[in-house]
Amino acid sequence: MPQARLRGALPVLRYVRTMAVFFIVWAIVARWTGNAILLPSPLAVFGALVDLARDLELFLHAGISFGRMLVSIAVGALLAIPLGLAMGLSRTLDQLVDPLIEILRPISGIAWIPLALFIFGIGNALPVFIMTYAGFFPILLGTIAGVRGVDRRLIDAARTMGVPQRTIVTRVVVPAALPSLMVALRLGVASSWTAVVAAELIGAPSGLGYAVEWYRELLATPQVMSFIAMIGVLGYLCDLGVRALARGFTPWARDTRAGA
Amino acid sequence: MNGAARRMRHGGWRVNGAAVRAARGLALPVALLVLWQVWGTALHNVRMPVPTHVVTAAIDLVGSGELPLAILQSLSRVFMGFAVAAVIGVPLGLLMGSFASVERNVDPLVESFRPIAAIAILPLAILWLGTGTSAAVMIVAYAAFFPIVINTVAGAKGVNATLLRAAATMGLPRLRTIRTVVVPAALPAIGVGLRIAMGVAWTAIVAAELAVGAKAGGGGSGGIGQMMFVFYAYSIELNRIIVCMIAVGLVALVLDRLLRAAMRLSMPWTAS
Repeated sequence: MPQARLRGALPVLRYVRTMAVFFIVWAIVARWTGNAILLPSPLAVFGALVDLARDLELFLHAGISFGRMLVSIAVGALLAIPLGLAMGLSRTLDQLVDPLIEILRPISGIAWIPLALFIFGIGNALPVFIMTYAGFFPILLGTIAGVRGVDRRLIDAARTMGVPQRTIVTRVVVPAALPSLMVALRLGVASSWTAVVAAELIGAPSGLGYAVEWYRELLATPQVMSFIAMIGVLGYLCDLGVRALARGFTPWARDTRAGA
Repeated sequence: MNGAARRMRHGGWRVNGAAVRAARGLALPVALLVLWQVWGTALHNVRMPVPTHVVTAAIDLVGSGELPLAILQSLSRVFMGFAVAAVIGVPLGLLMGSFASVERNVDPLVESFRPIAAIAILPLAILWLGTGTSAAVMIVAYAAFFPIVINTVAGAKGVNATLLRAAATMGLPRLRTIRTVVVPAALPAIGVGLRIAMGVAWTAIVAAELAVGAKAGGGGSGGIGQMMFVFYAYSIELNRIIVCMIAVGLVALVLDRLLRAAMRLSMPWTAS
């Protein structure tokens, strides 16, 4: 038994070992550079992180960004999942809407920022719009692919047994497409979280992206690095959350590591 | 459903399937364009962009050479950053995928930095490298690095174990095995990584140039992202912003298609 426990702890130990080497190298380079604005020591960054956490500023901005992302993903999913289901089921609708999607999709959410700034101004609406847009396409495409991937025989079987079309959708298509829907949601969250920083950096009076830029202007590099770290940690936690959600909803599906 | 049955559904008319599909495909974009034009004209606001003005703005911007120049500048940065990412990412990925010890030690670092979006390190890049090309290249390289590494590792790990054992049996040294067995087998995965990375890199350059434009007060770093910001902040020309957005989309599309074609030509055995 202790051996098994040791094996479970091994990845953690390896992680700590690698990161320890990273921090030591960083500390040496920081000392050698001798410029606390260009490259503060890891200890200075850690101190700033503790300070920011203590007066809750860190969590305030993190909460704002996270809240915006939740709203964006909810809106994005609410638009994309029904549309994706309909497009996956109806070839006519797919032929009608798909070209428009393919025209818009290559235009990244970030490219919308100047126009959106003009329409929404600086505030909550801009990041939410950009993030919703960024999250929409992965969710839509994943839903369509999921619906297309449903085993025809399941639908035919249900139809043979006289199940009405609406029940087929809710009881056969949706459950069968759920695993790829969860993967799509995961990609959507990742893409939306990438957009939050850019959107807040340019056009929001609060949030993690704003905080990073604010402290850069003050040349407070330890604080800049603290917020950057928070962006990473929160992004990682979001991914972990969606994966847990996927395991909860679709325990039969295998956890897949996305390609991006 | 076969062709005859499809024709039956259209009430006996012999309708060409491709024509119907084309008509359906055009219907919504055309309808939206017309709606936008009518609505925009009805508002009687000079600032309101309408499709016809967007077209004239596009002709102006392309004709004066401004837009092609900005795109070229952004592209050159993308290629520089992409090259840096590929030169570091592909060998590192191959080593991580081939040697468990390398992966054990490097993977924590990769996984720790991967969730940090490229734009998040832009403030640091500006601090270290200023607001010019080198900061933009750093952002692009950072953004492109992760898809390349992760897909290369997956490709190198996915090599058929029998091939590796055969190479070992024949006494091939490890590094030579990587060159002659792992690299060819991992090539399709590396190609996918490069293609994803190119898309990410293009998004990152637009974001980086936009943010530099927004935060450095238009400090002359150029590129299409900055151009968009100037149109927003200084001259308020929405038609021109929309031209830039379309250009961003078109370049993304062309880059993706080019890389797909390059993959197909260089690796005809893979079905993408």
